[in-house]
Amino acid sequence: MEHYQVGVDIGGTFTDCVVITSKGELLAAKSPSTPPAFANGMLNAMGLVAERLGLDFEEFCKRIKLLTHGTTVGTNTLIQRRGSKVGLITTKGHEDIIHIMRGSRGIDSRNLNQLVHFPESQKPVPIVPKRYIRGVSERVDCNGDVVVELNESEVLASVDELLAMGVEAFAVCLLWSFKYPHHELRIAELIRQRAPGIFVSCSVELAPKWGEYERLTATVLNAYIGPVTSNYLKQLDQRLKLAGYRHPLQITSCGGGSISVDRAIQAPLLTLDSGPVSGVTASKFLGQLIGCENIITTDMGGTSFDVGIIYKGRPAYNSIANVAQYEYFIPKVDIQAIGSGGGSLARVDLLTRTLRVGPDSAGADPGPACYGKGNLTPTVTDADVVLGYIDPDNFLGGRIKLDRAKSFEAVERVAKEIGLSVLETAAGIAKIAEFKMADIIRKTTVEKGFDPRDFTVFAFGGAGPVHAGVFSRELGVQRVLIPLNRIASTWCAFGAATADMLHVHEQVDIQSSPFNLAHVNKILMQLANHATSQMKQDGVISSKVHLSFSIDIRHRGQINEVEVELPAFGARAKPQLTKAGLDNLNQLFYERYEAIYGKGSSYGNARLEMVTFRVRARSATQELELKRSPKKRQTSASAAISGHRQVYWSDLSKSMRTPIYNGALLSNGLLVDGPAIIETTDTNIVVQPKQQLRVDALGNFELHFVS
Amino acid sequence: MSKTSETHYGNSFDAIKGGYIPPDKLRISPKLKLHKDISSKLDPITYEVIRHSLWNINEEHGATIQRLSGSPVAMYALDLNPSILTEEGEFVFFGPYMQYMSGVADTQVKWILENRSDNPGIRDGDMFLANDPWVGAAHQQDVMLICPVFHEDQLFCWVTNCLHQYDIGGITPSSFCMSAESAYEEGLLVPPVKIIENGEIRRDIEELYLRSSRKPEAVALDFRAQLAGNNTAKARVEALLKRYGASTVKSVMRKILTDGEQSFLEKMSRLPDGVWRDRSYIECCRPGDRRSHKVMISLEKKGHKLIFRNEGTVDQDGAMNSTYSGWRGSIMVALNQLLCWDQYFAIGGALRHVRFEPTIGSMNCANFPASVSTAPLQAMEISLYPTYNVLGKMIYGDSQMRKDIMCIGGTSQWPATIFRGTDQWGDPFGYVLVDPIGGAIGAFANADGISTGGQSRTPICKLPNIEHTEQTFPLLFLYRKEVVDSGGAGHFRGGLSAESCFIPHGTNSITHDTLSSGNAIPTSTGLMGGYPATVNVYKFHKDSNIKTLMQTSQMPSDISEVGGREEVLALRQQNFLQNPSDVYSVLWTGGGGFGDPFERDPELVRLDVVENMAVSHEAAKEIYGVILNGERLDVRATEIYRKNLKKTRSTHPRTIDLPLRALKGKLLREVTPSLAVRSDPDNKGHASKRWCCMSCATDLGPLSSNYKDACSTLTAPITAANPHVGDYRRYIDDEPLFRQYFCPTCGSLIENEVARVGDDSLRDIELKL
Repeated sequence: MEHYQVGVDIGGTFTDCVVITSKGELLAAKSPSTPPAFANGMLNAMGLVAERLGLDFEEFCKRIKLLTHGTTVGTNTLIQRRGSKVGLITTKGHEDIIHIMRGSRGIDSRNLNQLVHFPESQKPVPIVPKRYIRGVSERVDCNGDVVVELNESEVLASVDELLAMGVEAFAVCLLWSFKYPHHELRIAELIRQRAPGIFVSCSVELAPKWGEYERLTATVLNAYIGPVTSNYLKQLDQRLKLAGYRHPLQITSCGGGSISVDRAIQAPLLTLDSGPVSGVTASKFLGQLIGCENIITTDMGGTSFDVGIIYKGRPAYNSIANVAQYEYFIPKVDIQAIGSGGGSLARVDLLTRTLRVGPDSAGADPGPACYGKGNLTPTVTDADVVLGYIDPDNFLGGRIKLDRAKSFEAVERVAKEIGLSVLETAAGIAKIAEFKMADIIRKTTVEKGFDPRDFTVFAFGGAGPVHAGVFSRELGVQRVLIPLNRIASTWCAFGAATADMLHVHEQVDIQSSPFNLAHVNKILMQLANHATSQMKQDGVISSKVHLSFSIDIRHRGQINEVEVELPAFGARAKPQLTKAGLDNLNQLFYERYEAIYGKGSSYGNARLEMVTFRVRARSATQELELKRSPKKRQTSASAAISGHRQVYWSDLSKSMRTPIYNGALLSNGLLVDGPAIIETTDTNIVVQPKQQLRVDALGNFELHFVS
Repeated sequence: MSKTSETHYGNSFDAIKGGYIPPDKLRISPKLKLHKDISSKLDPITYEVIRHSLWNINEEHGATIQRLSGSPVAMYALDLNPSILTEEGEFVFFGPYMQYMSGVADTQVKWILENRSDNPGIRDGDMFLANDPWVGAAHQQDVMLICPVFHEDQLFCWVTNCLHQYDIGGITPSSFCMSAESAYEEGLLVPPVKIIENGEIRRDIEELYLRSSRKPEAVALDFRAQLAGNNTAKARVEALLKRYGASTVKSVMRKILTDGEQSFLEKMSRLPDGVWRDRSYIECCRPGDRRSHKVMISLEKKGHKLIFRNEGTVDQDGAMNSTYSGWRGSIMVALNQLLCWDQYFAIGGALRHVRFEPTIGSMNCANFPASVSTAPLQAMEISLYPTYNVLGKMIYGDSQMRKDIMCIGGTSQWPATIFRGTDQWGDPFGYVLVDPIGGAIGAFANADGISTGGQSRTPICKLPNIEHTEQTFPLLFLYRKEVVDSGGAGHFRGGLSAESCFIPHGTNSITHDTLSSGNAIPTSTGLMGGYPATVNVYKFHKDSNIKTLMQTSQMPSDISEVGGREEVLALRQQNFLQNPSDVYSVLWTGGGGFGDPFERDPELVRLDVVENMAVSHEAAKEIYGVILNGERLDVRATEIYRKNLKKTRSTHPRTIDLPLRALKGKLLREVTPSLAVRSDPDNKGHASKRWCCMSCATDLGPLSSNYKDACSTLTAPITAANPHVGDYRRYIDDEPLFRQYFCPTCGSLIENEVARVGDDSLRDIELKL
């Protein structure tokens, strides 16, 4: 019997569902999202796919082997500030941790205006006001020794006061709790005794990391979105069970895999930012299929440009994330974003007569000038329309009609101010935006010790493929891939469908070289046990679990840590280092350090320090394969030409009658030489002069640079 | 030309005695060819792309150092800064990190051009190491690495960085030598020397550099970070030259400068000419000193020129000094933030119209060999912070620029806790507590300041987590908390600062030095009727019962709860011991307030009391005139109370008893929220332009007079300035006062002033309309 692996992604407007059949076929469907009852939209989208498969809904649900869902409920709760009233219990004397933050303004250093102009910045409106914070007497020191016993009567008094104030969730984070978790756990126990069923978030269960501010914010954020998210997930889980789905529901996490719904209910924080991460997951999967190990993923939407890195088949990770001006610990796939999208506004500084693009954006409303909703300032999308990259009558498959005259007028106003022609100005706006994108990619690669020339750029998101040819060329990248034409618009749902189950466990144990082998091995063993028991809870047997270990190491006395991956232990072997293996770690550290920071940057005489030990437990439930289409004996792509129009090419400094191709008609093996435009229902691909586009067996479009 | 340096020595402003001030035209050896070509056609698109790249190069330069440097002082305080300068040392970009540092980069580059272009020569592949404050450095710990970038055989531009070092010698570990009587007792002094030649580290010079340090490995690692930073920036500039051509890139640099210059000139054209002054005080210049030392700043605007002077500032003395480059660098911080922020700190163009006229031998323009190693904590802050006030008063006159005003922020006069001993791992340590970097941002002209928002002189900084500090040092923090009433009161309140409190842990005892000022006299004064923030406060409880409290699980929320013997720590007290039962706390200054607190919406005051824990009930009543009934606002009582207080405010004595009358003439200029200039049809000539109250137009005298003389003046003890100000006699002998100037008719608070008995009423504003 055919069975399915299904991914569902709920966005602001649409809910997407992607199904991969056991034969490797792909199906996708879109259905309107139904806030606040998001589950309805999800079931609708699944229903559409069932219909296409010719199955009734129940039968379809029964045949699903794995259903993975990406949710934005947590993210939306935070953005709309509709989270729970949280009571925070912490170590007495340290109640202000989340208000002091790190003694900074909580600004993103990429926001230059806020950085240089203090009056434009403020700290965030606190998610826990000071009156909802209680300190209790207790203290643990840096060795994990208790120096002050937990004062339980203070705990009970605090819990009662906070309950009387109407708190809906508790966060508990004490100093040094990751070295000695018992005080926190005891407080949680006391809370549950006083208020059974209330949502409690403990820092040691969520982010047992060194650094109280980032650990505490993680805990509070988790409590803030906890009740809303977990209620949503519980209900959804119920409804799916009723519908006939028999396996545990999986939820995508920011770590780049999926977690069981039970874990997501405890730790909804893991679902924040999981949407963009699914784009990286999808890219990683596709990369494996086509044998592409090094990928720069780029997602350009209306307001932002997101960049992720996959190196040797493994995404780049970060241990600190950022939301609503708060920084928090979470092991996540690293996504760097800048405010550069189709809606980025182009303005002239009148005094200096210079052109600036972004970071402010017209967003979706009023949107670019061509939307005709009242914005008169040109955006990157307006420039694209003027240049002829976008057909105003066939934008996103004709879903939105654009007004070319409005784009032209908007760009013309700017052109007059700087004394260039309208086309030159439009090309300039695009170019400035493209260079900013190249810069952010450079930062995410070069600053991590990667050379962009060793990578393929994956371009997705509505506006990405229009500009990818230029920003990739700027970086010296040889190849751009616009993935899977058929499902490009449901890319994140595809990411969910292909996600492995993944749990990341971390343990901090700060120790200096020379390292104690037995101690290191003890920690590795603890992590391994922890990981396998979590997977067991999720119903995965240990032989199907793949563990990979890493340790964050630094020069003693320095701040910066480098994640050093341990060589794989055999499938059945215990994760135990030998003496030689331990010595080799030093070597691995220096190699990684110098790869990131440059030759000669490390200083061999300095002692090393291990800080965080980490295991990533991964389980791929089944081998996935996608169907490949055979090469057609067609020699020319000209049959796919749907027409011609004037397009301005800045490399040639002129407008040219340019062929427009219907992407749906381009099949395996066909080549298109630039200059050309490929239109698909989701995006436009701009093939610059001296570039060539090729279609592969899976339906990917590849851009190559002809030297 | 080879004798350049000799013609230089012997001037009062040479780099041996008085501190180097570059001449308008640099004397550069003809051996060094400068790249000056510019491209005749530069389109706005290419300009923007290259400008953005240059900013990014500078940022990547800073990021490289951050990633590589290890020392916590550099990393948390982000005590570093990169910059890019033209071939002749004008700023193109100035990084967003420690702002003091790049303020001295241009003088270093110019000095090198003048004194090193002949011998040993400046060539591609060279870099110069320097930390001499008389050439250009805040203090000896701030070590610069300066790198010329060449195009073919011509010097194209410079990339430089500066990074604070853990220890470079001197009598005190950490090189903050708070008791030094001269630079001979402080860290190694390095005038620019070629440490990189042909791309290679000169081992001999490096070893010389590391030799005096107590932490040579840390300094060596940091040096590699600086090297990598310059290498990165240099390579990226070279790539730009290759891609766009040297003349195009140079044109962009020139345009960045002229754009900055134009923006500056345009702003100047909107402002009236005048002179603005501010006065503050440093306490204790050497161990045992009980004097306060006056520091003056004046800003004169004459057409499109700005002139800064420090006339009236005390002579150099003890260990409280900075050099000329420190003074100038400090002023540049405020210039950048208030006038050049919209050009992203590209201050080079503006500097063409700014003059610095220091008084030689004064405490902030000290002659060699004054002690300057603590300059950034005291001398430079006392040079910088009042500059916010004089610039704020100048730009208030323009309604567009008013929003750029920022009051003096927190950690004005850093209360340092310099400690040493044996740590919990058995290793020796010596350090400065970084916590005061948490600072506070002063109020804005239209919004409250930012509580624990960092120090304004470091736009990005990071307070260490307590767990990081406790891992590294043998300390246990009892608390770190934001402190009620620490922010200055005002229509807009200054940000709150915080207090850290700790005991030794895992060691027998810790040896301490203090180094502070601004403990008796507030230095984070408010603006235009805003009140001062808290002073710095050290508290030390000897033989407390903290151990008992810990054993019985009764942890304190405040040091007042731990008992023991309260000891007053002097402001430069050396070598005192803290044992495990001695509790030590440090409160640093908060942000100054803006405008009359009676103008603040009473509901916001209520929220500050019950929700934000920012204002006490007492201060709500005494300073804001707001009456609360428990957590509720008593609107009626507040109205009556404020009205009565305003009446009292109007009845204090006046220096000159002008007849009380409202001016009927035209409003010529808003000077502050409560002070204006109007024409007076009843007077002719000079006397026809007159100061008056903004709200009721009461005459406050001719423009040629000090408006304060006509105000109802209350002279109160200094404790009235902020609830945290205590008895000055613990630290100094001179009595400080808090003077308030009110409208003699309506009782509006026009300005506050901190002064000592005998100091005149400061003429803070002179306008030439």
